[in-house]
Parts: sequence; C-alpha cells; structure tokens
Amino acid sequence: MPPKRARTSATRTEDPAPKVRADALRPTVDMARQIYDQLDRGEIPRMRLPLRTKQNLAFLARDGVWRLGKAMGTRSARKLDGALMLLRTFYVVDFINEMARDKKTSTLRELYYISEGWEDAKFHSEDESNLLIEDLEVMCERLREDFRLHPEENGASVIGDLTIKERNRKGLVKKINCRDDVGDGGYALPFNVEKEKIEFVGTNAKFVIAIECGGMVDRLAENGFDEKHDALLVHLKGQPARSTRRFLRRMSDELKLPVVVFTDGDPWSFRIFASVAYGAIKTAHLSSYLATPAAEFLGVTASDIENYDLPSDKLSEQDVRALEAERTDPRFATAEWRAEIELMLKNGKKAEQQSLAKYGLNYVTDRYLPDKLTAMGIG
Amino acid sequence: MPPPPTIAQQLAAKQREISVAEFFERNRQILGFDNLQRALLTTVKEAVDNGLDAAEEAAILPEITVEVAKEREDRYRVAVTDNGPGILRREIPNVFGKLLYGSRFHSHRQARGQQGIGISAAVLYANLTTARPARITSKVEEEDTAHVLEVFLDTQKNQPRVDSEDVVLWDRAHGTRIELELKARYVRGRQSPYEYLRGTAIVNPHARIVLVEPDGTRVTFERATTDLPPAAKETLPHPYGLELGELGFLLKASRRPTLGEFLAKDLQGVSARAAKDLLERAGLPAGSKPVSVQGAAQERLLAAMHDTPLVNPSADCLSPIGATLIKRGLRNVLGDLKPEFFAPPVTRPPRVRGGFPFMVEVGLVYGGGLPPDQPVQILRFANRVPLLFQQGACAVTNAIGNVDWRRYGLDQKGGSGVPSGPALVLVHVASTKVPFTSEAKEAIAEDPEIDKELTLALQAAARHLRTHLSRKSRRDFASDKFEIILRILPKLAERTSRMVAKPVPDLTPVITKIMDVVNVETRIAAEAKFVRVPVEITNYTPRPRVLELFAEVPPELLARATFEPAPDGTDATLGRVWWTLPKLLPNGRTTLAASFPPGTEVDANDFDWYVAGIDEAHILGADPLPGDWDVRLPRTIVEAAEIAAQEGAAAAGSDEEVDYDAAEASADVRDED
Repeated sequence: MPPKRARTSATRTEDPAPKVRADALRPTVDMARQIYDQLDRGEIPRMRLPLRTKQNLAFLARDGVWRLGKAMGTRSARKLDGALMLLRTFYVVDFINEMARDKKTSTLRELYYISEGWEDAKFHSEDESNLLIEDLEVMCERLREDFRLHPEENGASVIGDLTIKERNRKGLVKKINCRDDVGDGGYALPFNVEKEKIEFVGTNAKFVIAIECGGMVDRLAENGFDEKHDALLVHLKGQPARSTRRFLRRMSDELKLPVVVFTDGDPWSFRIFASVAYGAIKTAHLSSYLATPAAEFLGVTASDIENYDLPSDKLSEQDVRALEAERTDPRFATAEWRAEIELMLKNGKKAEQQSLAKYGLNYVTDRYLPDKLTAMGIG
Repeated sequence: MPPPPTIAQQLAAKQREISVAEFFERNRQILGFDNLQRALLTTVKEAVDNGLDAAEEAAILPEITVEVAKEREDRYRVAVTDNGPGILRREIPNVFGKLLYGSRFHSHRQARGQQGIGISAAVLYANLTTARPARITSKVEEEDTAHVLEVFLDTQKNQPRVDSEDVVLWDRAHGTRIELELKARYVRGRQSPYEYLRGTAIVNPHARIVLVEPDGTRVTFERATTDLPPAAKETLPHPYGLELGELGFLLKASRRPTLGEFLAKDLQGVSARAAKDLLERAGLPAGSKPVSVQGAAQERLLAAMHDTPLVNPSADCLSPIGATLIKRGLRNVLGDLKPEFFAPPVTRPPRVRGGFPFMVEVGLVYGGGLPPDQPVQILRFANRVPLLFQQGACAVTNAIGNVDWRRYGLDQKGGSGVPSGPALVLVHVASTKVPFTSEAKEAIAEDPEIDKELTLALQAAARHLRTHLSRKSRRDFASDKFEIILRILPKLAERTSRMVAKPVPDLTPVITKIMDVVNVETRIAAEAKFVRVPVEITNYTPRPRVLELFAEVPPELLARATFEPAPDGTDATLGRVWWTLPKLLPNGRTTLAASFPPGTEVDANDFDWYVAGIDEAHILGADPLPGDWDVRLPRTIVEAAEIAAQEGAAAAGSDEEVDYDAAEASADVRDED
C-alpha cells in the first residue's frame, strides 16, 4: 500500500494566517455603510482620516511614543484622486474577503499586481497601494496582517545569545539559539514576529545593539563583540521594517534589555533612530506597538565626528534640507537633538559608521563602543 | 593741330547709356541676386509666380513642377514647368530676354509680379554667371508643336538674342518650361525653395506644386481644392492713387473727347457731381481736350483730385484667399504636425490707403507638433507671394510684436516683440499696390492704415486662441469630473451597495453636486446625406435650469444650415441663432442639431456657444452671453440669471476641509517604512 499523503495535503489547506482576528473585516462593512448612506442622502461620498503628516504627530505620554494627532483630512469623491482612493478601498476590501474565503495571504507587492485587473481603480505605483493599506489599518484599527497582507520577507537578522522558539511554515516549532544554531548570517527575522510565531526562551545578553549597516554587524561579529560584551546584534538594514521594530520592542518589553542604536552620522540615520524609538510618521497609528521608547542613540553623533576626528563627507543639499526638516519635527524637539542637528549643520559634515576603521579594525569594538556604552551607563 | 578737347567735351565722351548689365550689377541686392543661396530662390520664385499667374489668368488649375539639379559645386540647373496657356512664339524672346517687359505694369489689379523685371532678371543672372542661354519651351493649345528657344539677354541693348530655335513635340496641351543654368547654392530649411513653395502651397490651395531636390527627393504639395480663386478684376485707376507722371500718361493716352468724360470714364470713383467740383477747383473747363492739359494745369488738376471727396476705390480688384481656403491650405500643408487648434481665419473688410484698396487676412494655428519654446512662426504673404526675407523689417512682424500676446495665452517677454509658443501666424496683405520697403519686395513698409488693419486682424485671431486655451483648461478640469461621475461613482455605489445588501441609490443628486455645471457639447457627424452637428445640453447642477442658448456661426454657414428644433430667433447678418431651452431638471438633457448639405466644411470651432440664465462658473463648453449683444431675453431667463448670480455669491463663502490625498502626497515620509 502506498504511503498516505493525507498529512501533506492537510498542511496545504491550512490557513496561512490562522490568527487573523475573526472580526477583522467588520469595520470595512461599516465603511461601506457610511459611503452608502452618503450616496443615499445625495451627499458627495467622503471619509475622514487622521492626517499622517509630521505636523500631526502627538506625544502619547502613557506609552512614551509619538503617534497620530487629532488633525483630520477628508478623502472626497469631489476630486479625482479622492474618488479613486475611495473606489480602490472597496476593491481592496473585496480582495481581502476573497482571500479569507480561499484561505490565502498575499504580499503587498502581489496586491499591487492584482490591481492590474481593476480597470479605473488600479494602482499606479506600489507606494499608492501601500498607502491605502495603511489607511485601512487606521480606519479599521487593525494591522495589515489582519487583512492577510504582509511585506516580502526582508530578513533583518539577529546575532547573539538569544534562544527563541519559532513555529515555522510547516507548523513545526523549532528552538533556535541565535548564536549557536545559526550561520554567519545570523537568525533571519520573519515578517511576523508576534508571540504566536516567535517565543522568547531565554538570553544571557545584557543589552541589544541595533546597527544600520551590514558591514558593521559583520565587524562586530568577527571581533566577537557579542560574546565579549554580552550583546545582541540586530541588523536594521537601513530604515527598519515593521517586524524589526516590533522585535526590538518585544526584546525591550519582555526581556527587559536596554536597546542602543548605532548608525551612520547623517540626517537620515537620525530618522532611523526616530522611527525605532519614537515612532515613524507613516506608521504613527502603530507607534504604541512598534516603537521602543527606551531605545537610546549611541552614535555616530555630530560631536563624535569631531571628537574622534573621523573621515567625513560634506553635507549635500538634500542632507541640509533633511536637517532643516528635522528642526521642525516634533520628535526631535529635545535639547539634545536640537544641539546635534545644529552642530551637524554648523560643521557641514557627515560620517559613516565604518569610518571608525581609520584607527584599525578593532578600534570600534575595543575603544569606540566601550567608551560610548560606559558613558551611557550600559555594558 | 586740333584744339585740345574742352572740359565739356571730355565729360561728354564719358557719358553713355548705362548698360543693363551694369544696372543689374549695381542693383543685385534689390533684384534678389546678391548671394548664391538667394539667387537660386529668386529664380525659382520668379518662375513659379509667373507660372501661377499665367495659369490663373487662363482659368486653369495650376500645376507647377520645380526641378533643381546640381551641375557642379555652386552651379545648378533649375527647370520650372507650368501648365499655363503657353506663350506665342513671337512673345517668347521679349518675355524672357528683355527687362521691364510685361503686360501688367499699367494694370490696376492685384497680381504677383508687376514690374516685369523678375524672370528676365533671372535669365540675365544665368547668362552673366554661366554664359549659358535660358532654354524656353512653350506650347499654346492652338498649335500641335512646342517652340524651344535658347535666349540670351543682350546686356548692351536690353534686347533678347535668340541663339537657337527648334520645334518639338511636347506631350501636353499647353504650358511653359524654363530651364536656367546658374551659379547658386541649394539649401534646405529657412529661406529655402522648400520653404517658399510650402508657403505658396498654403495660400494657393488650388495649385499642385512639385519640388524635385538635387538629391532626387520629390516633395509634392497636393492641391486642397479644385475651386479657382475668383479672378481679380481689372479696374480703372483711382484719382487718390495718382501721381503726376501717371496722370500725364493717362491724359496723353486718353481717347475721350473732353476732360469731363476722361474723369468719368478713364478713372474710377468720380461721380458727375464730383467731376464738376473738381474741375471748378482746378479752374479747368470740362470741355477741354485731355491731351491739352499740361504743365501747371496738370498739377492743378492733380491737387484738385486729391482735395475733392470721391467714392472710395472698389475692392473688386483684390483677390483675398478667404477664410475657408486659408484654413484648408494650413490644414493641407501643416496636417502632419497635427495642430490642436486652427483658429477661424480672420478676413478684414477691404480698406483704402491713397488710391489703392487693400485688405488683411490672418490665420493662426496652435499646438500639436509646433515647437513649444520657440518664437512663434510667422508666415508673411503679399498678394499670395510668401515673403521670406527681412522679417525683422516688416510691418507685419512689427504689428505682431505690438500685440500683447500674454493676454491671449502666449509667452512674450515684456509684452512686446515676437511671442513664443507652439503657434504659427499667417498674415496676408492683398493690394493693387503693396508698399514694400524696397524693390526687392521682401518686407512690407510701415503704413498707419495697414498697421491698424493688421492689429485688428491679429487681435481677432488672438481672441480665438484665448477662447480655445481657456476652454481647454476647463475641459481638462471637466474631464476629471466626467471620469468621476461616469466611471468611478457608479462602481463605488455598486460595491458599497452590495456590501450592505441594498439596491444602488439614485446618483443624480451626487452627480450634480460633483459636476455643478451645465455642459454644452458639440459633435460633428458626417453622415451620408448631410453633415449633422448635434449639440447636447446637460444640466449637471443640483437645480432645475431655465436657459437661453445662442450660437454664433459664420453667416455663410448659417445660410446653409437647418436647425432642429427650429430656433426661436435668427440674425442672418450677424450669424446668430438662439433657442429658449425647455426647463432642464438636474441631470436632465436636451438635444438640438444643425444640419448642412453634404460636403459642407464645418467643424466644432465654427460654432461659438453662449448661454444666458446661469453664471460663468456653471457653464462648460459655452460662454456667458456677451453684454454687447443687446438681445431682449425672456423674463424667465432674466430671473434665472439673477438667481444664479446670488447662488454664485453664496457659494463663494463655503469652506473646504484639508484634502487628505493632497496633504499626504506632500508629507515627508518616503524614507520610512
């Protein structure tokens, strides 16, 4: 008798998003009713949404993060752009319902391509579709995962003595130590880092260091920084994905570990830190869930460039514009940040993390980081 | 021993007749042969002008072929063949081999060439630069064979010299071909034979013109009409335009027995009463013989002529191109550029300066493949002849520069000078005597009367452009709105209704709130039996509307139109027609149509629509009724207009909320996930 394969097929029909909230789509029906009622009353259809702009960030003292304020904008069918977004909203809702019926999930990019078949309602760029999904999150007070939508795996990685249990795509639970059970690439974070997917088992680390560039993660790993200093290295890969930020937050909350952020010394890196610690503008509706208010900025600071006499580049026009924008960004409205921004503008210089190699390959792990960590009271 | 020659004798020995060769050398510039490129163009131009004139005089649709072949560096062979009536054998030598020989010099009507210098100057130039004769082939319909003559111009005597002669068979009924070998240079682009022939084709849409370039490229300007322009009538000279010499010539040549009859019959514009006045003023008896009026008497007569009020000269002798043919010519030649707008051409009524009638015509083309950031192209024409040189010195260019084009939607630095933008302006000045700045006839001289007409015509064309541009911008705005109501809203309603399991509601109130305009839309449909222009008037506003609709149509088109339903009023002279429309409920529509006989050339630009009973902000595809039309509106319309005005004022105060989609686009969030 041939071996039974029932088990495999059972796995196949399993919902890839089993933990989606059962009532995930209920708010979309309310939205439809709202539009229907407006049409029925002879009013131009419209929706009100909180503005996701820098000016509309408000500090939420309870959570210590910046999130959406009260300023509202109107998406109205009076204008072509607004009318299109309203129509797309319901195309997306239909698509989500279809996925729920078929027990499927889709990547954001797939959604963008799916819209090719939507005629007038099709998206003209992936930015447009991503924006609308965020709007849906805001309006329905749900996460995009509740809508069965997720980003492509973007594999930010963790290296260090952290043991976790991951329930993998086949439903099997694997116990993984992020130093001993992984290759040189470290443990790659999946897009879903919630408890049902990843459980913390234990760690001997004393702090988390989140690093902007892969080259610097490699340097610290090669120099054995994680072991010598009991650190967990997290690669941010530039602007960190939601899962990376959520994972940092969970480590901060559940493992009670301090989190320091180590980036290049330029205005864009300041923003990376802001989105880790304070909350990002685009995802300000999720700040209480994604941001790590306890995170601290380690460097490279504008004063580091001077103090360590680092090789630097002149600020470009875009750099200066970015700094000017940060001057009016409420997240940077602290004395420390003001001073940093003004100093960088004054000196007109920026430097990369890896410019520390000027003093040799061990300098960053032997001198720079220990100095900075000591000054921060960590390590 | 003979006495030494006196000073006078010495001088006399040097005095002699200046040969035409010397005359030519000294006047190369004004004759158009001062450089190699221009010499070729002038040669082509003179031959083509002659060919067109010859064919038109014989009421033949002109067919002109220009062949340019390179012999060697700086040496070309030009052959121009026309299908005119041909030239009698005995006239051929004089026409081509004698300067100042022509049939039109003393005629009072509009013609291309006038002085009779043109073609023989080209012959002379060819003779002088290559020592080769002009080869003329000509056949008249009455003869079976063509004559071929090789002609030189004797530069000492200004006489033709026939070098050889033959009789050949020519497979055409009639026509003339001239071949010249000359020192020249062939160019393309500006001031080229191509540019000249293109211009000629635009203003002579009845002509078929072929150009064969030295590299064998064959360019054909097909004719766009088979209607010959009405022949310009020959008229008598008008006293206001006479100068002393010409008056003397006319008096001497007159066969009238008395001065009174001379005034009445050899001149135009002098009534019996005016003749009496005039003679009294001059102190001359009506009965004296014309030939006897000489010297001081002639001067007194001329002065009296200029002082006496006379009937203006007749404009019958002018041959304007006309609005229809300007448009057709421009379309025919510029069609490849796909311009978005051909302004209805402006043909001003004839005016008079001195004793000469003139008129101005202007055509304007906008958009399509015309370059957007360059100075506007100017096509100048005098008596249907393109003017290619001296653009900067021309009254036409000046008049264009003096219009403030910024008001009409073109860029113009400081509000004067040639504007820039994707436009082309055609200007035609027709007159029995066009004042040129020089004998080369390249630029029109400044003249207050002509300038006034140029300005009025240009402004009229510019107003059409402004209307077009403002309609276009409103159309773009409206096309968004139409997309919303026609494509997006129904789907939105369908999807949301399905989600709440209810029937789709009536969208009329929403549609009218979004649009909030009355739309007037014209379509042209050429059907087999007639040309039909249906007009849809749709009330996309939330209120019922009572409207009066007006159309302004060129009177000649209006005369051929039948309307359905019948209009409530018509003014055939001004080309206006109007209707009181049935009351239009929100989202309500009414249709009317104009029909024309088959073959009528109509396009949407021929109709200007005006509406009364609503304010400007709420009309699309039409304009508010101009204040100066002076029409009596029905009481209902007047009331509707008042209500609309109040509405407009009230709506101005309403506030708008922040547009979410506009705010988000500007947010500085691109660098974050």
